[in-house]
Amino acid sequence: MKHAMMTTVAAAILGLAMAGGAARAADKWDGGDDIATSPLACDAGPPAATAAKPYDGGQPTAAPDKAGKPITIVDVPKLIGIGYFNATSKGMQDAAKELGNVKVTTDGPTEAKIDEQIKFIDNYITRGVDGVLFAANDPVAIAPVLKKALSKGIHVVGYDANSSPDAREWFVNQAQFNGIAKAMIDSLAKEVGEDKSFAIVTSTFTTPNQARWIAEMSAYAAKCHPKLKWLETVEAQEDNVLSFNQATTLINKYGDKLSGLLGMTSVATPASAEAVTKANLCGKVAVVGLATPNAMKPYVNAGCVKSVVLWNPVDLGYAATYVLRAVVDGKLKAGGTSVEAGKLGKLNVINGSEILLGSPFIFTKDNVKDFDF
Amino acid sequence: MSATIIAPARAGEGGFLRAFASQEGLLAFAIVAVAILVGLDNARFLAVRNLSDIILGNAYIAVAAVGMSMVIVSGNIDISVGALIGVLATISGSLAVAGAPLALVWAAPLIVGVLVMMLQGAVIAYLKIPAIVVTLGMLSILKGGLISVTGGRWITDLPESFHLADIELFGILPMPVVIMVAATILAAFWMRYSARGRAIYATGGNAEAARLVGVSPQRTVVMVFALHGFFAGIAALLFATQLKVIQSTVPPNLELTVITAAVVGGVSILGGVGTVVGSTLAAVLIAEIASALVFINVSPYWIHAVQGVLILVTVVADILRRRRRLAGG
Amino acid sequence: MTGMTVLTEGARRAAPRWLIRHETLLAAILIVALAILGLFNDRFLTVDNLLNQGRLMTEVGIIALPMTFIIITGGIDLSVGSVVGLCAIMLGYSWKNFGFPLPLAIVFSLGVGAAAGFVNGLLITRVRVPPLIMTIATLALYRGLAEGVSQAHSVRNYPEWFFFVGQGELFGVPTQLWILLVGIIVAGIALDRTTFGRSLYAIGNNETAARFSGLPVDRVKLLIYTLSGLAAGVSAWVLVSRVTTTRSDMGIGYELDVIAAVVLGGTSIFGGAGTIWGTVVGLVMIQLLKNGLALTGVKGDATIIVIGVVLIASTLIASSLQRRR
Repeated sequence: MKHAMMTTVAAAILGLAMAGGAARAADKWDGGDDIATSPLACDAGPPAATAAKPYDGGQPTAAPDKAGKPITIVDVPKLIGIGYFNATSKGMQDAAKELGNVKVTTDGPTEAKIDEQIKFIDNYITRGVDGVLFAANDPVAIAPVLKKALSKGIHVVGYDANSSPDAREWFVNQAQFNGIAKAMIDSLAKEVGEDKSFAIVTSTFTTPNQARWIAEMSAYAAKCHPKLKWLETVEAQEDNVLSFNQATTLINKYGDKLSGLLGMTSVATPASAEAVTKANLCGKVAVVGLATPNAMKPYVNAGCVKSVVLWNPVDLGYAATYVLRAVVDGKLKAGGTSVEAGKLGKLNVINGSEILLGSPFIFTKDNVKDFDF
Repeated sequence: MSATIIAPARAGEGGFLRAFASQEGLLAFAIVAVAILVGLDNARFLAVRNLSDIILGNAYIAVAAVGMSMVIVSGNIDISVGALIGVLATISGSLAVAGAPLALVWAAPLIVGVLVMMLQGAVIAYLKIPAIVVTLGMLSILKGGLISVTGGRWITDLPESFHLADIELFGILPMPVVIMVAATILAAFWMRYSARGRAIYATGGNAEAARLVGVSPQRTVVMVFALHGFFAGIAALLFATQLKVIQSTVPPNLELTVITAAVVGGVSILGGVGTVVGSTLAAVLIAEIASALVFINVSPYWIHAVQGVLILVTVVADILRRRRRLAGG
Repeated sequence: MTGMTVLTEGARRAAPRWLIRHETLLAAILIVALAILGLFNDRFLTVDNLLNQGRLMTEVGIIALPMTFIIITGGIDLSVGSVVGLCAIMLGYSWKNFGFPLPLAIVFSLGVGAAAGFVNGLLITRVRVPPLIMTIATLALYRGLAEGVSQAHSVRNYPEWFFFVGQGELFGVPTQLWILLVGIIVAGIALDRTTFGRSLYAIGNNETAARFSGLPVDRVKLLIYTLSGLAAGVSAWVLVSRVTTTRSDMGIGYELDVIAAVVLGGTSIFGGAGTIWGTVVGLVMIQLLKNGLALTGVKGDATIIVIGVVLIASTLIASSLQRRR
């Protein structure tokens, strides 16, 4: 009995050591999808205008003409029940109220699973809606069902997380991937200095936006802050407590060598800030990240976090609704260069079929109290 | 057949020496061994700060595993506990933000937890619906209900006094550790030395035989689930009071982690065997390994695979050991 | 007790009248529910929608067939979702990284699924690890392997012919639905009319007695767990073909959907009773309920509450029926 016990334990430990040795972390920060990166210029100016691309979106087949008439839209985000998509949904409701002839319903899976999301969209196609707004859990997997919607004459506009271009008419992009990367890395470097080390806390590597942001951050840092050292990236799903535990582990593992934590989701960033606070390292370890202002207020007000990068998700939902209305009304056609989006004014078309919301917004101690989402 | 009836009696008699030549001993050894091995690679792992962080951050899992162990020993299972903890955490946080007195804020999750679980226990025991079905259905109901009611809004603006997990008894003992250790010791003693506690083993081992000796399997199951709800409530409190915000969603995979802790801790799914000391040690080991894998730079892509191997190895080792013990007499 | 007696005992217990009534009652509830939902929404009971739902329920349905076998023997397999993820990844990985021609990659991924199931069965029969524990461990392990091998990469850009299984139609019926129908018929016949099927009931009713009467219990168990892994592989193939990409998180949660369908269909979790027909009714009921509710305008979070209630209520009704006898 003891023999079996000892042998098994020894085997387990040996296995652990070997696994540790063999599976050492890769050098990449983890962009996952091997798409080329395009880091921005290092100075503080606005991003240079990108060369115009021909329109590459898909088009609905025989969409009924509903210009000026009331339409029903369904919004299927990655998942429901998190603050970020509550905010985008609110923006859509605001836009619908202003426009007067739009009815938007937000419905989606309770977990970020692409298979569930596809089934939701499929059901709404059967029900018969005039338009679909989506934020994709996977850009390729969602394409077949979106194309099915287009083939039934339903208009399709994406926001937050894109699909392959030919599966939707337009994509409202909150901010360019490289713009976010620049904002994050510049904020970090400003706070900790050039010659320091940092780690990243993300949700999962298979979340498409995460992979792209991290890849762009890696490219931008290599270009403009070459002395900034990346230590590692950990996954923490969308779980608050797990993110806290992972951030704490990083702090304990690197000790003095860690100068900053980058949080990549609205869950990871407050949890990282909490970990730094609990370890009494506020001010010694910087926390910079993407997050919604409400969750960050306690840390920003305490001075633990100096800048929170985001865009306004309420505006994002608002813009997406206006874009879809414009498409139905014929005011935004394939090849168009701009669209009127209510109180947001004129938004430009970039990359062929994307509509840019604007530059990333940075929340600081001075302005965080003005927002409530 | 006869071996199964003997085993629970042994669990009651025997004494602690037997315990150490068993799953609990194996786990304790593994905890120390991992700490030393990782410490050799990165000395920072052994820092008091790190070791205490590991335990503090995961104490709630150990507490939930205490209740889950009882459920499994009684011959049932519960996959709704993760969703329940999410709901209880939200209830507690909402009451706190609404300004309710602290006693109510902390008591509410315990009370609701007990009620919900007792309901499930009653359905399982008296209506004879299998536990997997009832708890699977309850999982859906709780998850959907939580999102319907809260819309996933995060609870921020929690009052300072809410944070039970931050309190340190006598200034040095952190609450989560105190609660975890107290829960484990009390539950372990109660299950081993009290009649009601031993009735759980009897019900799980052979319900018919239990009934014949005067134990009421139905009442035992309801009691077990009520206790499970109580521990889930405590776990929810520890879970909710750790951070300044509460995420009003169901923590993903929590029930699986809790069941794994109970199972790796030596609780047999056949019912009738296992201790809560084992499940607590297992919960600590699982948390320790998660941290260890980061410390020794295992590629984040392979972390779950390594964890899976370790669970498998521990489980197989436990079964082999058990078979040798039964065969050896 | 001779082997024959055990088998006929098992056969008699396999189709007692109460069980047949459970499926019939369930089917009756199903029809009533469908009629009500159909009244609320005219797009629900259309051929188009029903065929589409058939397409969407195949992935869970295929796995539910061997799961019925497993639960009848008193076992369970919680690793099926992870096997789906692993097979999906291996399909793409072997095509892209090993350079296998795509048909070989498909066969390879099915082989991986069968091997995964075989490992489950081996440790369950040889080492006697209880199925619940074994498959919880492999649930973590196989998912971890999928993540480790894929390194968060997806494999895309398959040739057109590959999509036929997931998105195509044969004589107007979705391709994968044909696969499911064939599976149902084969599984139903195997369970009802072969010695293999009868031995499943015998094992579920009293494994020791079955063993002592000379039934090849270990071999049967090994077979059903391997089949479960293979079914997960087929499900993965259909899924990848339907969504045109591979992800390591594919199949998460499938095990609960499958078990819900099987248990709803009257298969007892304690073993010894259950039919393929019941599983089919359970499967269809859950799928059409979700679909019907969605079409009627019930939102996602409320739908899962309803499914939870239906699950408990149906089992309650069936069980009280059983006791009335």
